[in-house]
Amino acid sequence: MTNPQLQFLHSGVSLPQFYGIDRLVILPRDPYSLFAYWEITESTREKLKNEWGDAAWQQAIFQMRVYKHQWGREEQIESFFDIRLQDDSNNWYFHVPDTDRLYHTELGWCTAGGYFRPVLRSNLVRTARDSISDIIDEEWQLPDWKARKLYRRISLYHLSSPEMFRRRKL
Amino acid sequence: MAQGFLSLILHAHLPYVRHLEHKYSLEEKWFYEALTECYIPLLMHLEKLRDDGVYFRLTFSLSPTLVAMMEDPLLRDRYSHYLERLQHLARLEEERTAGDEAFAPLARMYREHFDAAGAYFHRYGGRLVGAFRKLSEENYLEIITSASTHGYLPLLAVQPESIYAQVANAVSYHTALFGEPPRGIWLPECAYYTGLDEILAELGLQYFITATHGVLYAVPRPKYGVYSPIITPAGVAAFGRDTETSKQVWSAQEGYPGDYDYREFYRDIAYDLPLDYVGPHLHPPGMRTDSGIKYYRITCEGLEYKEPYRPDLALEKAAQHAGNFMFNREQQVKYLASLMGRPPIIVSPYDAELFGHWWFEGPHWLDYLCRKMAYDQATVKLITPGEYLDLGYPLQVASPNPSSWGDKGHNEVWLNGTNDWIYRHLHQAAEEMVALATEYPEADGLLKRALAQAARELMLAQSSDWPFIMNSGTMVEYARQRASGHLVNFRSLLRMIRENKIDGTWLQQLEEYDNIFPHLDYRLFQSLEATLPQEAALI
Repeated sequence: MTNPQLQFLHSGVSLPQFYGIDRLVILPRDPYSLFAYWEITESTREKLKNEWGDAAWQQAIFQMRVYKHQWGREEQIESFFDIRLQDDSNNWYFHVPDTDRLYHTELGWCTAGGYFRPVLRSNLVRTARDSISDIIDEEWQLPDWKARKLYRRISLYHLSSPEMFRRRKL
Repeated sequence: MAQGFLSLILHAHLPYVRHLEHKYSLEEKWFYEALTECYIPLLMHLEKLRDDGVYFRLTFSLSPTLVAMMEDPLLRDRYSHYLERLQHLARLEEERTAGDEAFAPLARMYREHFDAAGAYFHRYGGRLVGAFRKLSEENYLEIITSASTHGYLPLLAVQPESIYAQVANAVSYHTALFGEPPRGIWLPECAYYTGLDEILAELGLQYFITATHGVLYAVPRPKYGVYSPIITPAGVAAFGRDTETSKQVWSAQEGYPGDYDYREFYRDIAYDLPLDYVGPHLHPPGMRTDSGIKYYRITCEGLEYKEPYRPDLALEKAAQHAGNFMFNREQQVKYLASLMGRPPIIVSPYDAELFGHWWFEGPHWLDYLCRKMAYDQATVKLITPGEYLDLGYPLQVASPNPSSWGDKGHNEVWLNGTNDWIYRHLHQAAEEMVALATEYPEADGLLKRALAQAARELMLAQSSDWPFIMNSGTMVEYARQRASGHLVNFRSLLRMIRENKIDGTWLQQLEEYDNIFPHLDYRLFQSLEATLPQEAALI
């Protein structure tokens, strides 16, 4: 059944565990959560360890800082929060506070004194909206009562048309 | 004149499951089943509608991986043999059931069904793409493309070059096979992210389809909800999926396909009859896998009690359901038109594989629907998205919302604990592919072939099907092996190219093995200077 000559093409070798490249990438999962994965090379860790000294390094806390950008002025940071990570982790799912926002993160270590030293910066990610927009283009506007009816029709997606017609008759 | 429009869109896609190394593979059977049960019956119905002079317009998205399998000589040849075995089994069944009032007509039905599929397949020389193309040239079908290997674009967008290559190759592959560029694209899993429209516009695509909340939650608020397309800032139209029509057809519980008169999918003779009788004709031989010959109707909840299938009852029900669907669209269109002040368009996308495979009567339902809509009413007209755009209604500019049609409406199906491990490898490989393509803009000979194969392996690894299957919990090992196998092949090629030691024999074998897109231009992965990838930066 099987051509043994071709067996080796897709077997035997596995993917590398590390690529030897410092990297932090974030991906959007849904309007309220993101996924981050990273690789921090040994040389980068060593560099920081040498910079800080053994004692400080032993007490340092590995963490990710999540930055929320301003709405409408996206080059500005509105706020940030920190997530404490397990030392041996290389990925994390985390919640973010707002939909339709740009986020980026930094990965690094925090000293016992609270000083955060970032090592990697991620790409930018925008979370999706989870509701109808409040922004209305005046040239593209139905009268309120019509808009309500139209949107109501779409939002009744748990009902099929026949059920809906029965309900309307009631 | 019609008060509104209905756009039925059938999305036909299967991952590239060609296995040169196995004479019988379970995954290749997905493709053979879809040919026999879905694509050929649908094409036959559409040609009959055309020959009967019925007015109809449908949109088909044919994914490049599916088209590549339809075009592949090995798979065409293997399909012929697969079908011959099935035809033989159906003949044995006719003999076995002879004289049985309930089952003999059913055995004959399947024999006729398989014979007709075989005759149709050979009429087109085994090239179904020709049948699709003809219906498209006659303006009955609008055929659109999808991303090359159905990559889940929002999660590959860390390297925009991946998106560009996935879409650009799809457009050129489609153009080569169908004679003209596609007007629209089916975004794999309807998955959209902000900024994707720029790449689509650059590649000449005029429209795409989103999940309902892709258009409904657009900014600014779309005046007509999902009942008119919006136009993105880059100038591409986005059509939002209608919810009512989705539910009516789609839902296995509440939708039409669950009707008790319809054929039961989960009772197949492969499991009911002795293995020494059915076994030799199954795929692979001797293994109890679905034959496609199923003699019972759904009858009731549960799988214990089933009554024999009655085609007359089932077809009557399909006609009723088509009438019901049409009636509901008429009411829907009248209601929406009264609110909107212009004709609404109802966009109803479905997986093509629902029709005929899961829902055996689906192709008949579609046939009845087209006939009824042509002759029994004048309120709603069938239209394709391209034709709708040609009508020239002004479109509101709005940014679609990032979304997908997967569970929960976003990326979670393709990004969770079962499958998230692939992205670091996919992104790393894409970054290296971009570097290679940029470094070698004019390779030739062996190097050019190695670069093209590297691009093929990367694209095959990027298929959304692998993380989807990992998430589904069945066939997980297959999906893991496919994703990692292609990435391992990519890395081997990368090493050979970097070390200038390309093994020509090995490369040739790989080219024969993963032979998708023979004319793939690896330079599609060249760095997009204007939109440099936002990689992690060392601070």
